[in-house]
Amino acid sequence: MCGIVGYVGKTDASSVIMDCLRRLEYRGYDSAGLSILNGDLQTYKTAGRIGELDKVLPAEIEGNIGIGHTRWATHGIPNDVNAHPHRSSDIVVVHNGIIENYLKLQEWLEAEGYEFVSDTDTEVIAHLVHFYSNSLDLFEAVRKSMTVLEGSYAIVVMSKNNPDLLIAARKDSPLIVGLGENEFFTSSDATAFVAHTRNVVFVDDRELVKLTPEKVEFYDMEGQLLEKQVSTIDWDVEAAEKSGYAHFMLKEIHEQTRSLQKTFAGKLSELEGNVQLPELNLTDEQIRNIGRVEIIACGTSWNAGLFGKYLLEGLAGIHTDVSAASEFRYRDPVMDCNTLTIAITQSGETADTLAAIRNVAQYESSTIAITNVVGSTITREAENVVYTHAGPEIGVAATKTFTAQLIALYLLAVHLGRRRNYLLPDEAKAIIKNLKELPGNVQQVLNQRDVIRRHAAKYAANRDYYFIGRGLNYPAALEAALKLKEISYIHAEGYAAGELKHGPLALLENGMPVVAIVTKGRTYEKMLSNIKEVKARGAEVIAVADAGDREIGKYADIVIPVPATNPLLSPVLSSVALQLLAYYTALEKGCEIDKPRNLAKSVTVE
Amino acid sequence: MKAIVLAAGEGVRCTPLTNTRSKVMLPVANRPILEYVISALVDNGIEEVVLVVGYEKEKVMDYFGDGNDFGARITYVAQTSQLGTAHAISQAIPALGEDNGYFLVLNGDNIIEKETISKLIADHAGDATVLTTPREKVCGYGVVMSAAGKVKGIFEKPKRQISHMINTGIYAFNRDIIAEIENTEISGRGEYEITHTLQNMVKGDRDVRVTVTKNLWMDSVYAWDLLDTNARLLASCESAIEDTSIIDDTATLIGNVEIGGNTVIRAGSYIVGPVKIGDNCDIGPQVTVLPSTSIGNNVSLGPYTYIQNSILMDNVRVDSHSHVSESILGFNCNLGPYSICEVDNDVNIEIENELVPVEKSGVVIGDGCKFGSRTLTEAGTLVGNNCTVRSGTTVNRHLPANSTVL
Repeated sequence: MCGIVGYVGKTDASSVIMDCLRRLEYRGYDSAGLSILNGDLQTYKTAGRIGELDKVLPAEIEGNIGIGHTRWATHGIPNDVNAHPHRSSDIVVVHNGIIENYLKLQEWLEAEGYEFVSDTDTEVIAHLVHFYSNSLDLFEAVRKSMTVLEGSYAIVVMSKNNPDLLIAARKDSPLIVGLGENEFFTSSDATAFVAHTRNVVFVDDRELVKLTPEKVEFYDMEGQLLEKQVSTIDWDVEAAEKSGYAHFMLKEIHEQTRSLQKTFAGKLSELEGNVQLPELNLTDEQIRNIGRVEIIACGTSWNAGLFGKYLLEGLAGIHTDVSAASEFRYRDPVMDCNTLTIAITQSGETADTLAAIRNVAQYESSTIAITNVVGSTITREAENVVYTHAGPEIGVAATKTFTAQLIALYLLAVHLGRRRNYLLPDEAKAIIKNLKELPGNVQQVLNQRDVIRRHAAKYAANRDYYFIGRGLNYPAALEAALKLKEISYIHAEGYAAGELKHGPLALLENGMPVVAIVTKGRTYEKMLSNIKEVKARGAEVIAVADAGDREIGKYADIVIPVPATNPLLSPVLSSVALQLLAYYTALEKGCEIDKPRNLAKSVTVE
Repeated sequence: MKAIVLAAGEGVRCTPLTNTRSKVMLPVANRPILEYVISALVDNGIEEVVLVVGYEKEKVMDYFGDGNDFGARITYVAQTSQLGTAHAISQAIPALGEDNGYFLVLNGDNIIEKETISKLIADHAGDATVLTTPREKVCGYGVVMSAAGKVKGIFEKPKRQISHMINTGIYAFNRDIIAEIENTEISGRGEYEITHTLQNMVKGDRDVRVTVTKNLWMDSVYAWDLLDTNARLLASCESAIEDTSIIDDTATLIGNVEIGGNTVIRAGSYIVGPVKIGDNCDIGPQVTVLPSTSIGNNVSLGPYTYIQNSILMDNVRVDSHSHVSESILGFNCNLGPYSICEVDNDVNIEIENELVPVEKSGVVIGDGCKFGSRTLTEAGTLVGNNCTVRSGTTVNRHLPANSTVL
């Protein structure tokens, strides 16, 4: 995935665009570039971070209109040539997404005499628009090109022949327009320009935008002028800075005491034993009739989804399946109008999850999106939206948004359970009481950061790591393994502890760290046997256990205590402890924590 | 003008409340002490603030972030070893940037208001200016002797009453202070003290001025002093009720009461201001809250509880029929039904092997304590963090952290 920017206004376009690109760096950072129009087209691009681009830029570039791009490679290796913007004579283009039919278009355009210099799919857009611009104006040329392009794209196009015009267009990739005073922005994400304006318009699929220094106009594919609603971004972009922490990830781990409260704020009524979700437009009858829940998600959100399965089955008595969105799309799912689909995506822009929820539309069943980003694409694709309200997350490894997703799933499970009369008021009340105590409990986990740091250092040189758990601790083990993989590059696997003897046990070696999540609950005794199992094979056991558990010390080499709480909620606490373990392991190894290699924050390609 | 705020110290005398956060982060009228300092600076147009952090710095950074929510731009300097105020200042000066003018130095753990420092900002001159304030009793403070606006001597905690002017720990310096700090010798406490630096400057006939303030400057020496500070600050609070709160028609609100977002005040509750209640609280039914009480965020008060002149920090939970008066309940405390925090007059509280007389006292309970049903905590008791008190027991002496009372 990539980040794109377009600017037209009165001030120095290159410095505005560079500022925007720096804020978009989380979307990808293997190459970057920009073009400024000032009589002539000036293009600068380079492999590497935005900082590298800064080095090749001249001190001053005149021009008040331009486009920029930060890239995360999908087609073609990250190098200077493959970096955007791509040019065809007097046309330049930046693009986020994937053009599926680019090879076919390339053949055709080559036959028409166009010469391709890069390995990217984007270059065809530049040539295609140029081809049509021979007979049409720029807007019409882009509109015509859209009828030919297949795949996903958000693009911004600029032409030497139109000194104060940008054309932007979108299909299946995010695009937002920012309305400033005498200046306009367009970007993949409002983060880019929110320092300049908070008034935005969300562009929908198959729409085009004309940006000039005087005004912005929105059109549909038929070229009809559209009336669009202006929204205000209410979160604080300055908060997206590190404020004293060495890394965004550590800052975001610490924010969890507050972010969790924001997720459930105003939704809990303890005395009534109820969770209020007024954002759900589901009738009692619809809720009673739910036969099955299908949870669709990717990566960390999938781990949260697995959590959701245990909760929805346990608290609402609904059969639940969890699918990786990239698999679900290409399966033949058996669904009917009584299947409730829950799509979980932090960014709301995850390409596979979006495609999957679009597939579901044919069943005319209810859909709920759980997302962190207000106004993101998924909020327009799903019928109902539950926001996690965790605030922007910059670290590529999800932390506070993961625990917020868990809380959102608790809220949903309790809400559905109560409305289906499956969960008794008393049971709900106990969960709500514990939910309210959770932020304080998380604080207690954070207070142990120095101890966890020492444990992390001890095992940081290991090649492999296992994480095991049962029940709700199993998804927590998966997520902990994923965190460690992502940022420390240690090979880590999460397993359902009972599955160990069906294979993975063969891989255990002397001194290999095995993290056992063994908080009190139904499977506590079973977990103790599993710990003995791995101990007997020479593993070093790091147990995450309830504070006050005196027995666990007999079996484990190291115990990381977390406050004792409801077994349904303890995985949140274990997850926070293991986020710290992953963080300090990566720190010990000197890894680039906020931007791990080969990964991007939200995956908007398939 | 820019400012350096010293927020690295622990504040041991405020134990047990400072065992998990520094003194600057203790909430008074629902805002940490440090926020009053930052607000006073911002209100005087000083937005560039260098915060020297150390002990439990994460809680400071989590709350203040980059300062944007408070109208400030905050840069953090981590003081890794606590080597005194002069050392902290010298570490922070590079973060002030290129600007070579005067800058302010303040302590993060004294509550001030805008006017406290406005005269100092306007009138500072010479090589250094010290802000003083008059006090009836100067015991325990640094005392400043001056003549004709010039400092003649600074004395740490003198035995004799030599002056009524105490040192607020607020100064205006220019960059020359760096050289002076370098010449400061280590004190008997093993620290480099800025008061020593100033004393040397006075002896060396440098131009050290004094400015006096009679505006708010409050120091909470011990944990229970926070209650007085709280009452003083609440006295000027105004009624403010967030739109998203839900207040039952049968609840009574008298005087100035502030109620945060998503907070529910249930039937028959009786709240007499000045009282501040934070966000996401669940109060009642039939709860009495009397002046001068501050209740943090995410607090639950069960039916028939009675709260008076107290500070309840975030996530506190008090079950039905409990009585809390003149007391401080730390973050995440949990009192079972019929829990009593006793009040008494003329209590002697033992702290650091010293008996401190307190006119009227309830109890101070640290973070994360869990009390069962029908517990009695006697007046003047300090309960450490994460203690467990079983049902039906009496706590009649200080409890160290993590104790269990059976």
